[in-house]
Amino acid sequence: MESARWRRLLVASATTALVVTLSACGAGATATPSSVALTFYYPVAVPGPITQLIDGYISKFEQQNPGITVKPVLSGGYPDTLTKIETTIKGGGTPPDVAVMLSTDLYSLVDSNAIQPLDSQIAAAGGDTYLSDFYPAFLANSRYQGHIWSLPFQRSTPVLFYNKDMFTAAGLDPSTGPANYQEMVSDAQKLTKPDGSTYGIEISSDGIPYWLFQSFVIGGGSNVVGSAPNQVNFDTPQAIQALQDFADLSAKYHVMPSGILQWANMPNDFVAGKAAMIWHSSGSLANILKQAKFNVGVSYTVGENGYGAPTGGGNLYMLKGIPASHQAAAWKFIQFMSSTDTQADWSINTGYIAARQSSYQTAAMKAYIAKTPQAAVAPAGLQYAKAELAAHDNAQIQKFLGDAVQAVLTGKSTPSAALATAQQQATQLLSTFKN
Amino acid sequence: MDAAWVLVLAVVALGWAVPLLWAIAVSVHSPDEPISAANLWWGSHPTLANYTQAFQIAPFAQYYVNTIVIVFGILAVQLVTISLAGYAFARYRFRGENLLFFVILLQLMVPSSALIVPNYSTIRQLHLFDTLVAVMLPYFGSAFGVFLMRQTFKTVPRDLDDAARVDGANWFQTLRHVYIPPARPAMIAFALSSISFHWNDFLWPLVVTNSAASRPLTVGLAVFTQLGEIGAQWPLVTAGTVIVVGPLLLLFLVFQRQFIDSFLHSGLK
Repeated sequence: MESARWRRLLVASATTALVVTLSACGAGATATPSSVALTFYYPVAVPGPITQLIDGYISKFEQQNPGITVKPVLSGGYPDTLTKIETTIKGGGTPPDVAVMLSTDLYSLVDSNAIQPLDSQIAAAGGDTYLSDFYPAFLANSRYQGHIWSLPFQRSTPVLFYNKDMFTAAGLDPSTGPANYQEMVSDAQKLTKPDGSTYGIEISSDGIPYWLFQSFVIGGGSNVVGSAPNQVNFDTPQAIQALQDFADLSAKYHVMPSGILQWANMPNDFVAGKAAMIWHSSGSLANILKQAKFNVGVSYTVGENGYGAPTGGGNLYMLKGIPASHQAAAWKFIQFMSSTDTQADWSINTGYIAARQSSYQTAAMKAYIAKTPQAAVAPAGLQYAKAELAAHDNAQIQKFLGDAVQAVLTGKSTPSAALATAQQQATQLLSTFKN
Repeated sequence: MDAAWVLVLAVVALGWAVPLLWAIAVSVHSPDEPISAANLWWGSHPTLANYTQAFQIAPFAQYYVNTIVIVFGILAVQLVTISLAGYAFARYRFRGENLLFFVILLQLMVPSSALIVPNYSTIRQLHLFDTLVAVMLPYFGSAFGVFLMRQTFKTVPRDLDDAARVDGANWFQTLRHVYIPPARPAMIAFALSSISFHWNDFLWPLVVTNSAASRPLTVGLAVFTQLGEIGAQWPLVTAGTVIVVGPLLLLFLVFQRQFIDSFLHSGLK
């Protein structure tokens, strides 16, 4: 008796599952044959109504392109997006058509055969003429093996924020920030209060310590990025000098608190008056302006020879293994998301730097900059920006360099020894890659 | 209880409560006002603006419903599967019993993150992608739960079982009336660990879902915790956190007497 009832229940639930499955399949099949349904994965890395903004762009895109629909999928943070896509590919599923991932994920994505190049589409859109409107620094992490694999979407760069009121009080010129490392040190010495209530400068070394360290190296006229993705230049004399400069700020000049400074706390310390200058992402500008009760200046991060910074942030990629019929639509969507107007609006609402120079000529952007002149500083500084650290097995490589930076800042190692170790670890890991 | 004990307990309780109280205080801190050592709590003009912004950023009401369905759906199925399996391992002798039990225990050593790809593959073949069932399915069985129930059932005296049989109870009635009642504390302990694990699970739901209709709260919370690009927005982060943990906390505070009672009144009567 008992078992018969169970069996009936089992059959009933199996039937329900089948019906649900079939109706789900049916829903896909009844769409008009000529229409293309794209899927778009995007991570969130800044606050604000990101989902509403993305939904708004998509409905505008769908209006302009009848026959194409786009389903936006919020995919957590950058690492989550990568995991979600890798799982889909390994598990035999269909990846999204377009995704926003870190520009530095390029080699890992090519190595796992996850993305397809955009050369033919870019050539059809005008080739170099089409690309020339993008800031060259934002394309520095897009090229590999003679192909272009991604277009910039949500990009940023470290900048130097300074407290203009404190500059004036210390007898410094509030109209410009320091032009090189030596100036930054002497400014910071004048700004540091002996009672410890204000430090001249704070530069974070947690989270992604290699990123701000790259500013020191690039400002010293060099970079840690190798000429191929199986090479890095961690232990050059310029890099060793740069790490010495970083450590000297607290150990020698006492203008920065010692130890590892938290990335998340820097803007707070700055607006609370605990630090007269900080290095932080250009994306922090809106929040800093909202909270600061003083005049905020924006300038560039510096090294021995002058200004210098890496780029950061996410690019638009087209995934491999999507239906051939989706490719044209996916390219249209990539073009739309990286277009002059979308980039201008995205920049105004999020604080990212617009990827295109023409975005800064739009009426909306001009009105925004008239109101917030500090927002024009970061794009103007992109001429000093170089590629962000990227290589095969990138998370590991970035960690090797980050660990070296932290070891020196906590006094556990010297710049030359720590960087030699990092170089050796990286060389060993990268030796398995041919190019 | 003497005064020294009260003092120790007060310190422990305070240490537990301060992070929560701070989160609630900071969640009404004005977003326009910096948080500093001198201004660490609710600030000069408390506001609900952070909550308004948090609700704009993610559809929390929908996420709530989903989380509750997922967490209690998993638990309901688990309680059935673990008591049946635990009962079989505790009281029946059958061929391959030890091997089978060993294989089940082996599963405890495989971290669930290592199974994401095969599990995803299964979900895809079942055409369950982006459904609540997909989020729940891999957890319907629980090695830990089976082990716990087996050990608990083994402590029930055989005599009670025999007496029930003599009275004409079948296996299900025996399980229901002889074994389950003394196992209630163990089941509640298991339920608490299951609820807190699945309430917090993030990666698996993120991987197998694409739409708000099937995503849990943790995915909504990620929108606040992944703001790596710029500095921490403590007022916003704490508002999101209070929204997510608040009801669960309230539930526990309301039902804590029942939880504790059930632990105290365990054992055979």
